[in-house]
Amino acid sequence: MMPLAMVQEGEIVSVHYVDCGMGLKRRLCDLGLYDNTKIKVVKNDISGPIIITVKDSKLVIGRGQANKILVEEVQE
Amino acid sequence: MKIALAGNPNCGKTTLFNNLTGMKQHVGNWPGKTVEKKEGLFKHKGKKIDVIDLPGTYSLTAYSIEEIVARDYIVEEKPDVVINIIDASNIERNLYLTVQLIELGANVILALNMNKYANKKGLKIDSEKLSQLLGIPVVMIEAIDETGKKALIDSIIQFNQKKSTNKLKYGNEIEEHLEQMTEMIKSEIDVRKPDWIALKLLEKDKQIIDKVSKLKNGKKVLFKAKQMQNHLDEIFGEDVDAAIADARYGFIAGLLKESVRKPSIDKMTRSENIDKVVTSKIFGIPLFLLAMYLLFQITFTVSAPIVDWIDRSIGSLAELSMGFLGSIGAPAWFISLVGDGIFGGVGSVLVFVPIIMIMFLIISLMEDSGYMARAAFIMDKVMHKIGLHGKAFIPFLLGFGCTVPSIMATRTLESKKDRIMTMLLSPMMSCGARLPVYVLFTAAFFVKNEAEIIFSIYVLGIIMAVIMGLIFKKFLFKGTSSPFVMELPPYRLPTLKGSLIHMWERGKLFMIKAGTVIFGAVLVIWFLSSIPFGVEYGSEASAVGMIGKVVAPVFEPLGFGNWQTSVSLFFGIIAKEVIVGSFGTLYGVGEEGLIPVLQEIFTPLSAYAFLALILIYTPCLVVLATIKRETNSWKWPAFTAVYLFALGWIVAFIIYQGGLLLGLG
Repeated sequence: MMPLAMVQEGEIVSVHYVDCGMGLKRRLCDLGLYDNTKIKVVKNDISGPIIITVKDSKLVIGRGQANKILVEEVQE
Repeated sequence: MKIALAGNPNCGKTTLFNNLTGMKQHVGNWPGKTVEKKEGLFKHKGKKIDVIDLPGTYSLTAYSIEEIVARDYIVEEKPDVVINIIDASNIERNLYLTVQLIELGANVILALNMNKYANKKGLKIDSEKLSQLLGIPVVMIEAIDETGKKALIDSIIQFNQKKSTNKLKYGNEIEEHLEQMTEMIKSEIDVRKPDWIALKLLEKDKQIIDKVSKLKNGKKVLFKAKQMQNHLDEIFGEDVDAAIADARYGFIAGLLKESVRKPSIDKMTRSENIDKVVTSKIFGIPLFLLAMYLLFQITFTVSAPIVDWIDRSIGSLAELSMGFLGSIGAPAWFISLVGDGIFGGVGSVLVFVPIIMIMFLIISLMEDSGYMARAAFIMDKVMHKIGLHGKAFIPFLLGFGCTVPSIMATRTLESKKDRIMTMLLSPMMSCGARLPVYVLFTAAFFVKNEAEIIFSIYVLGIIMAVIMGLIFKKFLFKGTSSPFVMELPPYRLPTLKGSLIHMWERGKLFMIKAGTVIFGAVLVIWFLSSIPFGVEYGSEASAVGMIGKVVAPVFEPLGFGNWQTSVSLFFGIIAKEVIVGSFGTLYGVGEEGLIPVLQEIFTPLSAYAFLALILIYTPCLVVLATIKRETNSWKWPAFTAVYLFALGWIVAFIIYQGGLLLGLG
């Protein structure tokens, strides 16, 4: 398990737990990101926000927020 | 008949709205909210149909004002039909809102949009099956053209009030409690849609809890709701609202399994290929700078001839009418009111209309194409340093053209804190109206390096904005920065019609402002420059002259303590573009004769201090009025006016006195 911010570009992971306030948690859920959702990291530079694909949409997530989303690798 | 359009941002909702209503639309604000309200109407077989464009939302929680506005409208205004527009290529996420609209008991028609993109992705949607499973009509449309428009209008007209009978299943545990809760609400308090209220109470919806707590017996209901939440939290081992969201997505997943066929491998789309370049570390920033350069270059090149034309027309119109008034023997004060006041003042603002319109046209094209979201991503790192995120760069950018649209653009920011912070800082992005002052002064004092001096003023503005941003972050807006989560919409070809409508709306808003605020202000200036009657317009003996003399000592430490400078600064608060002209009037020379006069009253050092003051001090009245409108209070415009004046004075003081100490005077 690791924070989303540490996932390499191109990897697919599954959301384990979103460790943040109710507001952001709900927002992410509205955007399709909740526990057990599969997400693909499209862009992750060393700093700055990251880009992921969730369901059929692309999201930008601030690095601070990406550190609060705990994910697990998906075995394929 | 009254219909409302609901849907996610970027799903083509506004395009459909424009398609249905054409130019017959009215843009205003939701009462008491700074959320845009678009209303329009169209006729079908003699029947008038009012259309409301609800704000784009992902959900109907109380997360943002937009969501509250949308659901309050549906609950309280009870539109006959709610058309839920859905991006078919992103159907799963989009249906999350649909499910909540059905929960709310709205009469929903599902309009599947962007089927072409969905087909390209390899999605096969069985709309009949979908309609059957959801229990609501489903129509396939393309909002950008006429595809499906007739079918959609037919289904609106024929909509029968029969509610969707397919109730969403949340699982036995939750449903049992929901039923109990609903019964209790029905017997204890008097509200509309008790089943929805019950659901929202279990979801710990702040706005609904607030509402219920104010009702008779409301506390009792809330107490019971709290008990149930705790009980359910224990059962699920997670928050009950998360469990409800899971149930919704679970329902959607089941629905899609039966009605949509998806390709097993995701194709690499064109959007993704473009993004590889646009957001890359190497090309991202250069491409962004190029886009910004083009934005300004095109705006100013295209608008220059129009601006010139308006300027000349207003000038000759003013002369014509003054001549006419003279010939019919109108009193001199009236001629001066028309010439100096109305044409001089309002004209100087109208000149900005083409710049604003063209800038908004290009920005709207950039936004609709999907590029703006990428630009926000690229700028996030920089903006983060002052506690704002990437999206806030758009208002700042606009500020270099004109601060008014920049303030209007803060609406795209989600948190109120970010909005206000951006409003406080963006006046320091040097607007186009301040440029003539820089040009005049550099021509008089810094002939050898005009460009460098002007550039340094722009940079000074950016530096001061960063410094103030850091200070505000520390003292005024404490706490963590708001979370940055934003959708990157797929690249799409923008429609000219939509962008033109957008441009027209912005231009209209600005002209209304210019016509009201500026007009009133111009009358005040004219009056103050003319009394006591009989004095020369704007002379030392006039009221402004006297005000100037009283105020002048304030600017003495900055190196320009004469009354004319004070008066022109005073006029500059009405509109920055009148500063140069007022120097001319006050010294009784034309703009051409100004340079020798300025060289007598300023030194290069005090001239530079003056430019710094012009850059920073109190923004023009239209900006203050816009801030008032956007924040719904007088507090923020008042604060902006005072703090920027003080900051401008301090910076000019440091430049002038520091320069003297260094022997630059």
